[in-house]
Amino acid sequence: MSFLRRHPALPAGLLFAIGLLGAPLVAERGTLNDLWNVAFAVVLASAWNLLGGFAGQVSLGYSAFVGIGAYTTVLLSLAGWNPTLTLPIGALLAVAFSVAVGLPTFRLRGPYFTIATIGVGEAVRVIASGVDFTGGASGLRMPPGTFDFTSNYYSIVILALFTVALCAWLSQHAFGLALEAIRQDIDAAEALGVSSTRMKLEAHAISAALVALAGGLFAINFQYISPSNVFDFRLSLSIVLMPIVGGMGTVVGPVLGAILFSYLQIKLLASPALRDSYLFIYGGLLIAVMLFEPRGMVGLWERLVRKLPRWRAPRTAEPHRA
Amino acid sequence: MPEPLLQVQSVTKRFGGLLALDSVSLEVQPGEIFSVIGPNGAGKTTLFSCLVGSIRPTSGSIRFRGEELSGLRNDQVVSRGLVRTHQIVRPFREMTVLDNVRVGALYGRKRLHGAAARTHAQAVLERTQLAHRAMVKAGVLSIGELKRLEIARALATGPDVLCLDEVMGGLNPAEIQQAMSLVRQLRDGGLTILMIEHHVHAVAGLSDRLVVLNFGKKIAQGRPGEALRDPAVVAAYLGDATEAQA
Repeated sequence: MSFLRRHPALPAGLLFAIGLLGAPLVAERGTLNDLWNVAFAVVLASAWNLLGGFAGQVSLGYSAFVGIGAYTTVLLSLAGWNPTLTLPIGALLAVAFSVAVGLPTFRLRGPYFTIATIGVGEAVRVIASGVDFTGGASGLRMPPGTFDFTSNYYSIVILALFTVALCAWLSQHAFGLALEAIRQDIDAAEALGVSSTRMKLEAHAISAALVALAGGLFAINFQYISPSNVFDFRLSLSIVLMPIVGGMGTVVGPVLGAILFSYLQIKLLASPALRDSYLFIYGGLLIAVMLFEPRGMVGLWERLVRKLPRWRAPRTAEPHRA
Repeated sequence: MPEPLLQVQSVTKRFGGLLALDSVSLEVQPGEIFSVIGPNGAGKTTLFSCLVGSIRPTSGSIRFRGEELSGLRNDQVVSRGLVRTHQIVRPFREMTVLDNVRVGALYGRKRLHGAAARTHAQAVLERTQLAHRAMVKAGVLSIGELKRLEIARALATGPDVLCLDEVMGGLNPAEIQQAMSLVRQLRDGGLTILMIEHHVHAVAGLSDRLVVLNFGKKIAQGRPGEALRDPAVVAAYLGDATEAQA
């Protein structure tokens, strides 16, 4: 039982995993599409959280990685590749791009880093809209016969579960501790031997690879991509808002944020009057979080548990981390 | 004289128009307690920052065991065995005391893994009398405990030279006695100590040798008994008597 007390979110996480994996047996296609979006959002939010939450390096350029993954998959598939084999190539390109972007921008601190990443994300979008081989602003379509919803659904769900498990594992190990040290005081971390630039580059690379894999699956699932959907600044913004609303720097927070955001988006898209108001609602949520609970839904939950003493687990020693 | 462990040669640091360090040289022998003293703004902390690589000297050379350090990053200097504490304590406030120290054990010179890092961190907490606070968040520690945590984290990296930046500032007399005996223990355990200190009693009681800085310049050096009585040092601290009369 002490294991459960240390990882109170584990049962809920397992239920969530079983639900996602078992859904194709019982749910209809519409629901599965919604769940696909949830899993996609979980990958983006959790992967972003590795760098943005754990290490505190808030990047607003993550649509670049979605786009790199998506375009790699479409372009290589059009060249005759098996779409599944294009996924690792997209991930590798995203890793290379993350290092190329990280080397200069990780010298910047705080808001300057964030501002630089906006520039990078937008530059990539403008380039993708301008050059010929990406199909320019009108985008690209996947070659016919590359769509299989069931296998794509399982792929994105497994990727989502893997991403969350990886984040949970990293957060318990030396790497997670170093990122946390960097977030709290980067100079003090360096003074203790943490090579901050290297750690940030590694976190950036891991999350870029995961996001690019999701981008590739996105391309296969929707069969059509254009700079205005995969390189969109609003996508970058959503990727940041999900973990912030859910609870930055925690493992559970980005998942909660992703579920909330995809649910909202599904509801909003269904009602024409609200279709374009989602940024307004996200903005409102962001302000509410910043004002009332900077630790997001996770912080809200912990506050709730404290208020209900009956539920509180007996006080034990602080969790021992290996 | 044995080969100096740390050799600082004409290190100069300019911040724009301000000459923070003006061609400072010093040599630290293995196993000694070496103090750097001087009035506020003398450049002591700047000197430490240059030593560990958190800022780059404008010119000059810093050799550690014969190896040139200037140009290396802070984390690279730590991995060579030279580590500093901060005058204004910089704990990771939202981490437990143990995790604070584990960062040093995992990423410092020792680069210990998993359980070994944990055991080492706990041993360091014992030495610095923080073991009973291992599982609390560093943010709740008292100033005396925070100063010890600074030392503990630096020790956990496994250094040969420990640079202590005013670890006695803000402590009460009993805590200063404790801190002094800790510094002595560390030296007797084989460490070389370089310390910035304002507390004259501690400096005089601990240091084998010292240098005095004023406005970035070295104005005196030697054994504490001689150097502290040097007229230039007295003038720097208390003002120049001839100037006052004029």
